[in-house]
Amino acid sequence: MLTLILLLFLGGAIVTWLGGKLSPVVGDLLFLATIIIPAGMFFTGVPVGEVTHLHALGLTLTWGLTPLSYLFSMIVVGLGILLAIYAVPFMKGKQKTGAFYFNFTLSVMSMLGILASKDWVSFFIFWEIMTWSSYLMVILNGKEVQRVGIKYFIFSAIGAYAMLMAMVVMNSQLHSFLLADTFNNFQHLTTGNQILIPILLLVAFGVKSAMMPLHVWAPDAYSNAPMAYTGLFSGALSKMGIYGMVLVMVTMINQLPEGTLIRDIIAWIGGFTAAAATLWAITQDDGKKLLAWSSVGQMGYIIVGVAIGTPLAMLAALFLVVIHAMFKGSLFMVVGAIEKQTGTTDFKEVNGLIRKMPWTFISALISVIALAGIPPLAGFVSKWMLYEALIQNNNYILVILLFFASTAGFLYCYKFLHGYFLGQEEPEWAHVKEAPVAMVIPMLLLALGTFVLGTYPQLLFKPIDAALQYVGYDATGGRLWGESLLFSQWGDVVTLQPILYVVLAVFVFFALFLWFKGTKGTRYVSTKDISTSGELPKEWENLTFKVNFMQPFERAIEPFLKRQVDKYYTAFGNGMEALFEFTRRIYTGNGQTYAIYAVLFLALLLLFRVNLFG
Amino acid sequence: MEYILIKTLEAMATFVLAFIVGMTYGGVVRKITGRAHNRLGPPWYQNFIDAFKLLSKTRGIHHGAMHFLGAAFLMVTSVVSLMIIPVLAPGGDAWYNSWFTNMNFNGDLIFLIYIMTFGPLGMAMGAGQTGNPNSSIGVTRGLSQMVGFEIPWVMALVALMITYKTTSVVDFMNIQRETGTWLMFANPFAFIAAVLAMLGMFRYSPFDIVGAPTELASGPVSENGGKFLFTMMSSGSVFTFAKLVLYVDLFMGGANNLVMLVVKTFLLYMIPVLYGIVSPRYRTEQAVRWFWGWPTFIGLLAILYAVIF
Amino acid sequence: MVGTPVLFIAIPLLAAFLIPLIGMVWKESVRIIPGLVLAYLLVLAINLLSYVTVNGPIVEVIAGWAPPIGINLVFNAFSGFLVTIMVFMGLLVWLYSYRFKSNVEYEAARKYFLLLMMLVTGSVGIVLTGDIFNMFVFIEITGISGYALTAFYTGRDSAEASFKYLMMGSIASVLLLLAIMIIYSQLGTLNMADVASKMHLMDPKLKAVSFILFVIALGIEAEVFPLNGWAPDAYAEAPGPVGAAFAGIVVKAAVYALIRYTYTIFDLSGAFNLLIIIGLITLVVAEVAAIRQEKLKRMLAYSSIGQMGLVLVSFGIGTKEGVFAALFIMLNHAIIKPLLFFSGSYLVYHSKKKMISDVDGMGKLAPLTSILFTLGAFAIVGLPPFAGFWSKLSFLMAAADSNMLLIIGLILTVSVVELVYYMRVVNRIFFFKRATHLLARRPTFNAYVVMIVLGLMILGIGFYPDSVSNYLHHAANSLFDKSQYIHSVLTATIQ
Repeated sequence: MLTLILLLFLGGAIVTWLGGKLSPVVGDLLFLATIIIPAGMFFTGVPVGEVTHLHALGLTLTWGLTPLSYLFSMIVVGLGILLAIYAVPFMKGKQKTGAFYFNFTLSVMSMLGILASKDWVSFFIFWEIMTWSSYLMVILNGKEVQRVGIKYFIFSAIGAYAMLMAMVVMNSQLHSFLLADTFNNFQHLTTGNQILIPILLLVAFGVKSAMMPLHVWAPDAYSNAPMAYTGLFSGALSKMGIYGMVLVMVTMINQLPEGTLIRDIIAWIGGFTAAAATLWAITQDDGKKLLAWSSVGQMGYIIVGVAIGTPLAMLAALFLVVIHAMFKGSLFMVVGAIEKQTGTTDFKEVNGLIRKMPWTFISALISVIALAGIPPLAGFVSKWMLYEALIQNNNYILVILLFFASTAGFLYCYKFLHGYFLGQEEPEWAHVKEAPVAMVIPMLLLALGTFVLGTYPQLLFKPIDAALQYVGYDATGGRLWGESLLFSQWGDVVTLQPILYVVLAVFVFFALFLWFKGTKGTRYVSTKDISTSGELPKEWENLTFKVNFMQPFERAIEPFLKRQVDKYYTAFGNGMEALFEFTRRIYTGNGQTYAIYAVLFLALLLLFRVNLFG
Repeated sequence: MEYILIKTLEAMATFVLAFIVGMTYGGVVRKITGRAHNRLGPPWYQNFIDAFKLLSKTRGIHHGAMHFLGAAFLMVTSVVSLMIIPVLAPGGDAWYNSWFTNMNFNGDLIFLIYIMTFGPLGMAMGAGQTGNPNSSIGVTRGLSQMVGFEIPWVMALVALMITYKTTSVVDFMNIQRETGTWLMFANPFAFIAAVLAMLGMFRYSPFDIVGAPTELASGPVSENGGKFLFTMMSSGSVFTFAKLVLYVDLFMGGANNLVMLVVKTFLLYMIPVLYGIVSPRYRTEQAVRWFWGWPTFIGLLAILYAVIF
Repeated sequence: MVGTPVLFIAIPLLAAFLIPLIGMVWKESVRIIPGLVLAYLLVLAINLLSYVTVNGPIVEVIAGWAPPIGINLVFNAFSGFLVTIMVFMGLLVWLYSYRFKSNVEYEAARKYFLLLMMLVTGSVGIVLTGDIFNMFVFIEITGISGYALTAFYTGRDSAEASFKYLMMGSIASVLLLLAIMIIYSQLGTLNMADVASKMHLMDPKLKAVSFILFVIALGIEAEVFPLNGWAPDAYAEAPGPVGAAFAGIVVKAAVYALIRYTYTIFDLSGAFNLLIIIGLITLVVAEVAAIRQEKLKRMLAYSSIGQMGLVLVSFGIGTKEGVFAALFIMLNHAIIKPLLFFSGSYLVYHSKKKMISDVDGMGKLAPLTSILFTLGAFAIVGLPPFAGFWSKLSFLMAAADSNMLLIIGLILTVSVVELVYYMRVVNRIFFFKRATHLLARRPTFNAYVVMIVLGLMILGIGFYPDSVSNYLHHAANSLFDKSQYIHSVLTATIQ
């Protein structure tokens, strides 16, 4: 069944591509069918635990889902369906639709493949397919191809090759590529390899989950890819790194005596990622970039949770994994809708869309509240659990770092909403209409999902609990959520739910109060009709406040902003290129030099004959 | 059902108390400021008059749905914070003590840190939709400053959490009652850090650039009149009270009866007020950096103190 | 058995001789005959290969003198595998260049195909022969036809490139002769099997010296750093298909010779380390040089050199897995690199200078060629699910089994460099704006067929690597079975 689904995706990708050459409509329909049919089969027909074997080159490829990967694959498939529906109107009239559909489908397939892999070889194969399909997406629009695309590919390659090295080393010592074997027999590795392999794997997964200092590709890549794909990119694809990290952390690091140290280091890296990426997000003037940095920051929280590794922290991290996929998927869709309707995503250009794109705004608002971690939405539940886990684990400074990150996160949350939807309504954008229904519905669904999970988090606790029990957290007896103060034994939100209801009640009460009190006497006035020191501004006066929006804050963090890892990498890259150029000059193009090389080489070998051959 | 009804009545009593005390404090502060500036100043009940006037206005303008919701968001924060914070010590001597405990629960401190930052954000949205650039400027300044004082504030709270292994305000109050020592003496650094953060929280000088009456026409609230301004004003008063009570609960052992509550909160309130009267104004980036300087250092000391002792 | 190994040398030589003669009568025949010959040889090679995998090596004695005195040809799983690849490559090169550029004229075509036949003959001879001096002769045949093909365009640059090649080739010949003299003076025989069995009698000092001379001489042909200065020029200046032929045929033969000397004939302990060292240096320098190239073909040439370095490292591991991986890399290289050369030369066809920047925006103009080039690029850098991945994986597994962690790290680092320059080209093809209004030239029908066949093979091996692994295993085993080689040669009788 699983094999069939993967094959359907693969075949569908090719058929869609070819079908798109016939007529765009055929391509669209084929694309939807390619995503939805196998996805439907996945939801209805794939049992956890079913295993398939394939053979290649004397190696056995084993595929099957575990509870942990089932959790992640729900994100992939769910987000895949919604984004596919969204993508059809989004890509209408755009160039390279065929390539988009092809790579989109392959990405979904490869992610599902990664999650279904029970051995490292197929894991790596799907991992690389995911890398190049997403790479082709990143450069699909043809902007900054060499800089952004190559940067993404270099980092992906570093990660992938680290993984490749780890897996062949494990295979050479343990004679098995099976994930389970390598984890269970981890103790049989030599001591050096016991340190080396987790580190290599953490590099591999750290790249994909945009862990600092391996994150530099992420902001550019996320913002450069088509928005209909970025939701998947940030929501699901980067989660593959987390998936791997969970595996490594739980199965390998736990067996190491130095495990605690590594955990602490990773947790600190995660915390720093969260804080620094948030600050960078605040300075962005483009919604795509802002969300991209925000994604990096959110991954930081998740990494902290995974690295701390107590049951509660894992619960928080996995909860945030799902939630992040939902709200960030929705937000990227929002940006895509704005890009589609206005042609730009720059805060400095577009503004005041709230009354033109109300549904988009509502999705954005709910998602942003979830992103900021404000009760009563789901973001709060995960952040709460994370803080609680950190405090229980005595990581106090880290808590402060994360609190700082999430408070600073409000700044970019506000900047995002204000940038697109609030502020002056310019006549330039008077023509803008709400996005097509097929684009609005997926983003609204995702946004509402965060609302539902905020009120009924137990919906998600059950699968997460199953996943965690599978990877070895069975000590809690299947009631992980009991660790938190928030929840009762059965995962119902007994403590928090009344508060959430009160929050809602108060909100509704005052909203109604303001509304009814105003129905008679209050009239709507345009955003030009405001008091500026008691004067009415003229029509021609520019009242838009967008440039240097967060200037005071940027000034405050100026010393930080000067230090940019990206610059160091660029300098390193340039240095390497210079070195390469120098090396290249060995080939002078002069035949005489080449002859001398031959003679010198001969002399050299004769000279070191004894050393070489004894 | 009856239980919920009683709870609701108690909550309303708390709200009324907070409203009255908060408004009165506001008036008193205006009076004190006036006297300090060698003016007569308005009477102490001036805020009530203002509120009544604003509420009774029949005509007004609005700029769209978010403008409505912004004020409501702000009010949610104030009311919910008030509901979570135990106003009087649970084991106190007065007969009405149980009225004011409302909905506090284990671990409410984290919840409070979050919910207290929510209001400014919600209001910022409302301010954003008005289209008034001054509002937005005020908002960005306010949010920046919030990020500034959040660090010493959280540090102080974490220092307390480290020492007493709890995240519940009620627990802190009980601990103080049992040991007989206020936490402001048990961990003085934490108290100092928290008070320094408080300066920013209450937005008096030198941290009043958010409102900046002269050049921003009172910043975020500038497009609001009538019922909007009334809602914001009352929300501000309630929120001020709630924050003061939280400080009292955490550092000064809480209050056993209303008189003690008023005395303690008023004394505490005088710190930012009096400091503000004699201070000039910081620019936003100066303010933010100031918070990340000495207050943060003291916060670190508090944590060290908590870890070591 | 449908034929004997000697046909691999006799038929193309005969064809090369006959082409001009028949061409006088029927001009088109100069194009057709080589194809027929190569097709027949391919069928023969496959038949023989499946025969030897079952029945053991075929040793053919030439001219009635039994080994060790006479010359003999050895067709075993290892050499047979290489012969099959080479003949297949020859066929594809023929098909591709059927009406390529200046081949359209009769004169040029006659020269071209004649030389191509000689090139294939020489290379196949190098692989098949069991005699050291005979190998020298075949190396000369290959070299001379190579020089001529490099200078095929008769321009200034081509002539220069050809001259460099010739000069280096002459150095190689001299050193080779020296080495052969040493061996003959010591052991009194030139039959490989005989030499191998008597090797322990040789003076260790002279043994090492002769080995070094062999390494340098063959290293020049096998494009080992620092002896490969001629190669980028030759690749860049020769016609596109000739570059593919060099990469797919000549270099393979030279590497074969190097490996045969290291594994079978000499018994030096440090030889494997030497292979690893020169392989690594070649790999690193070539990849690093490739990233700074401005001409597409030059870039491909350096990449090709780098791949050969990797092959040498893999052989140098000295285990069966290592040899398996090396052969797999050679196979993949033989499939992928020609595809890159073929499609790449069409992508820059419209330009005089053949710069990398000339491929800008070709994805729109020549979609199929561009996609095939991309496929090749993805495959050669080892991205799954394409062919190159499996060879890379087997190489890494072999290296890891021998605990060469640093080498793995180094090679993977270099792979990143490789990725970068290929991706830069792919990016240019699809995502850059076209600068000029020049139209891309549509590849000929034959060229399409060739490229698509190669593309399908890449996908085929990628999705089903077991289709070739069986042959590779046999080839690797036969290389290791030194005593069987000696035995089967020395006991061969005249048939």
